[in-house]
Amino acid sequence: MNLSRKSNIAFAVMSIIVITVFSVYKYSTKPPAEIEDRSVDFTGTSKALFRKVEENAALWQDKIVIISGEISSLDTKGFVLSQNIYCLLKDFSTLKTFTSKQNITLKGRVIGYDDLFEELKLDQCIIQKR
Amino acid sequence: MKKSKLLILFLFLSASVFAQKYYTKTGTTEFRASVKAFEPVAAKNNSTSAILDSKTGNIAALLFINAFHFKVGLMQEHFNENYMDANKFPKATFRGKIETFNFSEILDVKEYPIKGILTVRGEKKEINTTGKFTKQGEKLKLEATFSVKPEDFNIKIPKIVSKKIAGTIHVTIDYEFIEKK
Repeated sequence: MNLSRKSNIAFAVMSIIVITVFSVYKYSTKPPAEIEDRSVDFTGTSKALFRKVEENAALWQDKIVIISGEISSLDTKGFVLSQNIYCLLKDFSTLKTFTSKQNITLKGRVIGYDDLFEELKLDQCIIQKR
Repeated sequence: MKKSKLLILFLFLSASVFAQKYYTKTGTTEFRASVKAFEPVAAKNNSTSAILDSKTGNIAALLFINAFHFKVGLMQEHFNENYMDANKFPKATFRGKIETFNFSEILDVKEYPIKGILTVRGEKKEINTTGKFTKQGEKLKLEATFSVKPEDFNIKIPKIVSKKIAGTIHVTIDYEFIEKK
């Protein structure tokens, strides 16, 4: 085996090691998936989602939904849809442009049923249609 | 007999009419369990619900475990699935009382002791801390810190990672209450 062949093999082995280490590092330090990239588990009205969750709340944790409904009230970081779904916006800088009784469609993540307020809670909500 | 019943009803009604509730649905709860020289173990929950009764000083808070946001996705996954068992125990709650609380006394900033029960993974732990209350116009801000240990809530940390996770977990809360009208 001549020297250049040996060095070629050494180079190939080194490259594989470097690539493997890099990709393992990349994988293990990857940030959590963004809502925009996650697939949707439910599409429908806010009322239909609430009924579904009432049947079995445990099934709906961390599920991605696209829901349409009417805004009942607003605060500084989100709003309540159809009286019983609180939606925390991912970007609340646009919140001032919304009004009560407005119909909207949004994509959000179900985090659970809040007993304190008796509301279903969604976070990372992004507006799809208004 | 009838009179006393009426009296009780009246007292109950007047208490509920005059009780002033303050609330937030977007409180921040953070924890840190980092060990020097290792990757930081920390997460933030921006959707903590809390209700404060300004008359009695009673306070209740609730957060969802899966709403803790980590910088690293894999760490978040392990936290939910392996350590916190978020499917089985989706919530953490706190019920307590702000001792000697007097809402009208808070002009700018005032501290009060807070005592209560924190429930995580179905396990209860008594918490004693000091809350810093700040009046900001219509809002009432509450800041507090306390420490807990994984074993308080029966959280088992495998030996292989135990060096990377601190034995004491520091929790910081920052809630901005608004009056319920």
